[in-house]
Amino acid sequence: MTPLLEVVGLTTTFPVGPRRVPVVDGVSFSIAEGEVFALIGESGSGKSQTALSLLRLVPKPGRIEGGQVRLGGREISSLPVPAMRRVRGHDLSMIFQEPMTSLNPVVRVGSQVVEAIRLHERISASAARDRALSLFKKVQIPDASSRLDAYPHELSGGLKQRVMIAMALATNPRVLIADEPTMALDVTIQAQILELLRELQQEFRMSILLITHDFGIVNELADHIGVMYAGRIVETGPRQALLASPRHPYTQGLLASMPARAVRGQPLHEIAGVVPPLSKWPPGCRFCTRCPRVLPQCETVWPEVLEVGPGHTVYCHAVREDVAAAAKRA
Amino acid sequence: MSEARTNEARAGEARGKPEGASEALLDVRGLRTWFPIRRGLLRRTAGYVRAVDGVDIALVRGTTHALVGESGCGKTTVGRSILRLVEPTAGEIWFGGQNLLGLSPDAMRPLRRRMQMIFQDPMTALDPRFRVRDLIAEGMESFGIGGNAADRTERVAAILRKVKLDPDHMWRYPHEFSGGQRQRVGIARALAVEPDLVICDEAVSALDVSIQAQILNLLAELRAELGLTYLFITHDLSVVRYLADEISVMYLGQIVEQGPTEALLNEPRHPYTEGLMAAVPSVDPNERRIRPAVLGDLPSPAHPPAGCRFHTRCPKRFEPCDKREPALYPLERGGASRCFLVSDSRDSRSP
Repeated sequence: MTPLLEVVGLTTTFPVGPRRVPVVDGVSFSIAEGEVFALIGESGSGKSQTALSLLRLVPKPGRIEGGQVRLGGREISSLPVPAMRRVRGHDLSMIFQEPMTSLNPVVRVGSQVVEAIRLHERISASAARDRALSLFKKVQIPDASSRLDAYPHELSGGLKQRVMIAMALATNPRVLIADEPTMALDVTIQAQILELLRELQQEFRMSILLITHDFGIVNELADHIGVMYAGRIVETGPRQALLASPRHPYTQGLLASMPARAVRGQPLHEIAGVVPPLSKWPPGCRFCTRCPRVLPQCETVWPEVLEVGPGHTVYCHAVREDVAAAAKRA
Repeated sequence: MSEARTNEARAGEARGKPEGASEALLDVRGLRTWFPIRRGLLRRTAGYVRAVDGVDIALVRGTTHALVGESGCGKTTVGRSILRLVEPTAGEIWFGGQNLLGLSPDAMRPLRRRMQMIFQDPMTALDPRFRVRDLIAEGMESFGIGGNAADRTERVAAILRKVKLDPDHMWRYPHEFSGGQRQRVGIARALAVEPDLVICDEAVSALDVSIQAQILNLLAELRAELGLTYLFITHDLSVVRYLADEISVMYLGQIVEQGPTEALLNEPRHPYTEGLMAAVPSVDPNERRIRPAVLGDLPSPAHPPAGCRFHTRCPKRFEPCDKREPALYPLERGGASRCFLVSDSRDSRSP
C-alpha cells in the first residue's frame, strides 16, 4: 500500500551565529490513509518545525534546505506558492496548540469558519453558514447555532479548540496536522478533545500527524510513533512495539523518567544533563552528550538506520552492536 | 488523619488551638477567599468570585500533601492564602501553634520565613536584573540569616550545591540558565531561609519530562534530608500518585475528596475524582483508557451551581444533587468525599 503522506529527508535550517543549523535534519516518515502518526519529542526537538516545514510555513529566518513531501503520490514540496496554498487549505489542515493565536478575536467564530469554507469553495454565504453549523454539530459544540455568533473570548478553551477543529475539517482534508492540540487544556477537557479526534478520524478515515510531548496522548491516539531528538528522528515504530520495547537509549530514558511508570518511593530515572544548545550540537548522534551507552563513534558519525522489528527502526550505534553480538551468539 | 477533617466533625470542637496540632504542621480550617467583582464608576461590589469556599486541609510534618484540581478550582489561591499573599475572607490557618489570620504583620514575619513557595515558571518568579547570588541571599538578608555578606555568599554556595548547581554560577543572571536550572534556583531561593513548609505551585508542570524527573528527584531528596513538608499544588495525577502521601481534590473552590494517596486513587469515591482519573492518558501500550467522564465545561466560580457544585458535569447526578449541598462525608478507607452517593452508602459514618 502506498502511503498517503510521505516525507523524505526533510531539512530546515536556522541561522545560529555565522552558521546555519539544521533544526529539522533529514526527517523521513510516512503516514498511511486513516493512520495516526505521532511525532514525539521534548521542547526544541524540531517536531513543530517538521510540521511547518512540510506545509512550507517555516517562519523566517528559517529556510527549507531540501527533502521531498509527497501527498497521494504527488510531489508537493516543489509546487508553486498558489498551488501549495490550495493544498494547505484543502488536503492538509492544521490545528495549533493555542487556539487563541489562530482565531481572530474581533470576528464571530461562525464567520471565521464561513470564511475558511468560502476561501476554498465557491458556495453561497448561506450554504457556507449551513455547512459551518453542521461542522459545529459534528465537533459536538453544544448549542451550535447560537455559538456561531459568539466571539472567541466568549468560548472556553475546549470550545475554542473545537471551533479550530471544525475549521480544519471544513474542506475535508486528507491529512490533519495537530500540533499539541490539547496542550492548553485541562485534563478533563483534553479527554473530550482526544475522544472527538478519535471519532472524527474513524468516521472520515482521516490521517493525522499528531505532534506532542506526551507519551500518554501518543498511546491513546497513535498507530505509529516517531521519536525526535535535536532535529532528528531517533526511533520509529508501531505504537505497541515502541512503547513496550523501546530500543533507543533516549526513548528508553524518556519512558523510564515518567512518574506514571515509576515505583513510589524509588527515585525516577533521570536522563543526565540537558539538550545541548543549537550552537553545540555534536556532529554525530546528537544524544551522545547525555547517552548512558555512548561509544567513541557516536560523537562523530550519525548512525545508519537499523530495523529491529516490523516497521520498527532505530538509529543507534550501541543497538547495532547489541544486534551484531546477538547474531554472533546465535 | 483518616477521620474527620470535616466541618461536621469539627463543629463541636473548641475554637482554640486544635487538638493534635503537634502532629499537623499546618492546619487550615474553613478557609474562604472571595474576590470582589467590582462594577461601574464607583467600583461597587457587584458580587464575589468564591475562589476558595470553605477548605480544610491538614499537613502532617515531613509529608507531602497534594492539592489537585483543574484550572479555576482555587488550588493556587489556597496556596497564596496560606502565605497571605492574598488576604483570606474567613477561616483559620494554624501554623506553629498560631492562627496566622489573627496575627499582625509584625507577628507574622518570623512565621513567613518558615513557609516558602516554589512557582511554576521560575522566570517570572526570579527578578531578571539580579544575579543568582543576590536572588538567593535576598531572603537571608531580610530575615537576618548569616552574619555578613561574605558569610551569606558561603551559604548561597552551599545551597547551590544542595540543589546540584555549580556554586561558581552564582554570579550569573537567571536568563543564563535553562528551564530546569532556573527551577533549581527557585528551589534554592526557597530553601535559603530554612523553611519548614514549602508550597510547590505546579513546580514541575512547565518542564520537559526528562527535566521534570530531575526536579522531582531533587524535591524528594531535599524533603528527606531537611525534613520538609510539602503542599504540592498540581493538576497532574501521575505526579501525585508517585510522590504524595495525602491528596485533596478541589473543584470550584471546595474540596470534593480527600484521603491517603493509595486509597484515594485505588478507590476514588467522588465522581469528579473518577472523571479526573479516567481522563489521564495511559502510558501502558496494552491499555487505552481515557474516557471523557466529566461532561461539558467548568461553570463560572462567580456563580457556582446550586446544590453540589459538580452536578452540572456529573455523570452520576441524581435527585438531591441540584437542591442540597453535600457535606464532606468521612470514608472508612480514610479521608472523605463530598457526594450524596457516599452519604447514602454503608461506607458513611455520618447521619
